[in-house]
Amino acid sequence: MNFRQLLLHLPRYLGASGSPRRLWWSPSLDTISSVGSWRGRSSKSPAHWNQVVSEAEKIVGYPTSFMSLRCLLSDELSNIAMQVRKLVGTQHPLLTTARGLVHDSWNSLQLRGLVVLLISKAAGPSSVNTSCQNYDMVSGIYSCQRSLAEITELIHIALLVHRGIVNLNELQSSDGPLKDMQFGNKIAILSGDFLLANACNGLALLQNTKVVELLASALMDLVQGVYHENSTSKESYITDDIGISTWKEQTFLSHGALLAKSCQAAMELAKHDAEVQNMAFQYGKHMAMSHKINSDVQPFIKEKTSDSMTFNLNSAPVVLHQEFLGRDLWIKQIGESSSTEVQLSNFQQMLLSTLLSTA
Amino acid sequence: MASRWWRWRRGCSWKPAARSPGPGSPGRAGPLGPSAAAEVRAQVHRRKGLDLSQIPYINLVKHLTSACPNVCRISRHVQASQRAIALIAEMIHTASLVHDDVIDDASSRRGKHTVNKIWGEKKAVLAGDLILSAASIALARIGNTTVISILTQVIEDLVRGEFLQLGSKENENERFAHYLEKTFKKTASLIANSCKAVSVLGCPDPVVHEIAYQYGKNVGIAFQLIDDVLDFTSCSDQMGKPTSADLKLGLATGPVLFACQQFPEMNAMIMRRFSLPGDVDRARQYVLQSDGVQQTTYLAQQYCHEAIREISKLRPSPERDALIQLSEIVLTRDK
Repeated sequence: MNFRQLLLHLPRYLGASGSPRRLWWSPSLDTISSVGSWRGRSSKSPAHWNQVVSEAEKIVGYPTSFMSLRCLLSDELSNIAMQVRKLVGTQHPLLTTARGLVHDSWNSLQLRGLVVLLISKAAGPSSVNTSCQNYDMVSGIYSCQRSLAEITELIHIALLVHRGIVNLNELQSSDGPLKDMQFGNKIAILSGDFLLANACNGLALLQNTKVVELLASALMDLVQGVYHENSTSKESYITDDIGISTWKEQTFLSHGALLAKSCQAAMELAKHDAEVQNMAFQYGKHMAMSHKINSDVQPFIKEKTSDSMTFNLNSAPVVLHQEFLGRDLWIKQIGESSSTEVQLSNFQQMLLSTLLSTA
Repeated sequence: MASRWWRWRRGCSWKPAARSPGPGSPGRAGPLGPSAAAEVRAQVHRRKGLDLSQIPYINLVKHLTSACPNVCRISRHVQASQRAIALIAEMIHTASLVHDDVIDDASSRRGKHTVNKIWGEKKAVLAGDLILSAASIALARIGNTTVISILTQVIEDLVRGEFLQLGSKENENERFAHYLEKTFKKTASLIANSCKAVSVLGCPDPVVHEIAYQYGKNVGIAFQLIDDVLDFTSCSDQMGKPTSADLKLGLATGPVLFACQQFPEMNAMIMRRFSLPGDVDRARQYVLQSDGVQQTTYLAQQYCHEAIREISKLRPSPERDALIQLSEIVLTRDK
């Protein structure tokens, strides 16, 4: 599969549809032929996904990898690793996050860095502004763009770690000793701060204030997005009183902003003009949003409904359903279903049929 | 002078521009829009504690040091970018305090409840991150890459300082060096580097930058040493935070390290971070019996004299006198 087809494939595998605009392809790339030929592909298995990702990694030469970050060589990170090991056996969320980072075969955590690298290569050097001619380039990507991809990953992981902090006064006896949770919180904050500090340092080294501002504002958006996520009702038996457009805004903050602004920043580093930057922004935004929506839809399209896969009452399908139905009727429906598995699957079936009939 | 500074601080405001999810000009920071985010902003204001009696010294230093340009006869006025540095320094400091309070599970700070006690740990951590991101946006908008490098160094130092605090050294000699390094990274780095940043913005002479940096560094270390002394000598009402806090956290500060030279039995307590019952009280007794407090105060005086020596290299001005006075105030404060 060649490079242009790959970039077009990625959104498809993530559930997005529609072809991206081609106006800003680097002139060295040929026009795309037979775009329709890949629409027939419906296989979305993890194996296929892995194949797509590994092809992408080959194209960019070498991927951003958490393991290649220079901070891995630092004393602090080995200190963190030692401390995290003490958490084994406790129920602190940091342990889950750490495991996911090390063992994740899905590779979804490194999606952002990869997309930034791909988009940097796709856009290539600016045809208009040639001031970057002296920057070094490996596999068609400037080293500053690679650095940016790393920084994006750092910010994402830092907030992932900070999401895992627990409120001490909400702990139950089933969560284990208070001391463990306190210790876990401490390590989680320090690790997150360490990653953010490295991200800031990386940004400073790029010597580009516009890029710093972009990524800093992306961080601010992300923090606000996570704040909204946490503010959903604790009992989680009721959807928030929001419509789909508010949902889109909030999801942009928590999921879209980082990738969107990163892609834009990558274009800025190569000195592309505002139009190209805007397109990169839109690509990143829609890519990330479609990824989130796709994962929201998953519980409703599983073959076996007896899997009792839970879904979030503030996910996209549910919020849409609430908007169509009206909030009062929706709350009534929630009240009518009990917590037994059979009726929960009926509940999901009902939602699914509503969504399909309105699609 | 303090009242004029207070009026300036009240008038100074940094407002983020209106938000649009589209790219537009890259730096459109979101206003803290929905009510949830407004709650975060309320937390920020509460944390910064806008009472005259509680104005952190850091901000005073920034304002006064921005008078460094007088030396170069470029301008007698404080530039907008220098004011921004003062704000940014304050924000970085606040963000680090918010996170530190969660890490230490503290219940009070500056005489008020901590953010984590009122709103919980999750929101406290997010608040700290938000303040940091706001500071970064402001920093980027100044538009000077050197200044960005200087201040991001601070952020890194703050984190490394926390890590240094996690570990402990066995060797007595190493311990003191470790303690001074931690003190620099956690406290003095911010002051030193923000002094340097304002001097970079005001004056092209690297000699002046170095003077500003050294002044800030020495005042910062002296400030922290006195803070560690006050943890033993003051009572909680005056300090606004509980005393013997350092011992309870397992930290061996200046007075403890000096006392250890006279009472070697403290070594074991230091290594186990005062974790056994009765350790904290015994250690406190040892310190008060020894000359640990006096020695630490003497050391702080040395640093202050060094700071004054450095700043005296600038040509005379009312601001220079104020800075000299400030380093003397650091020594004589009681809270």
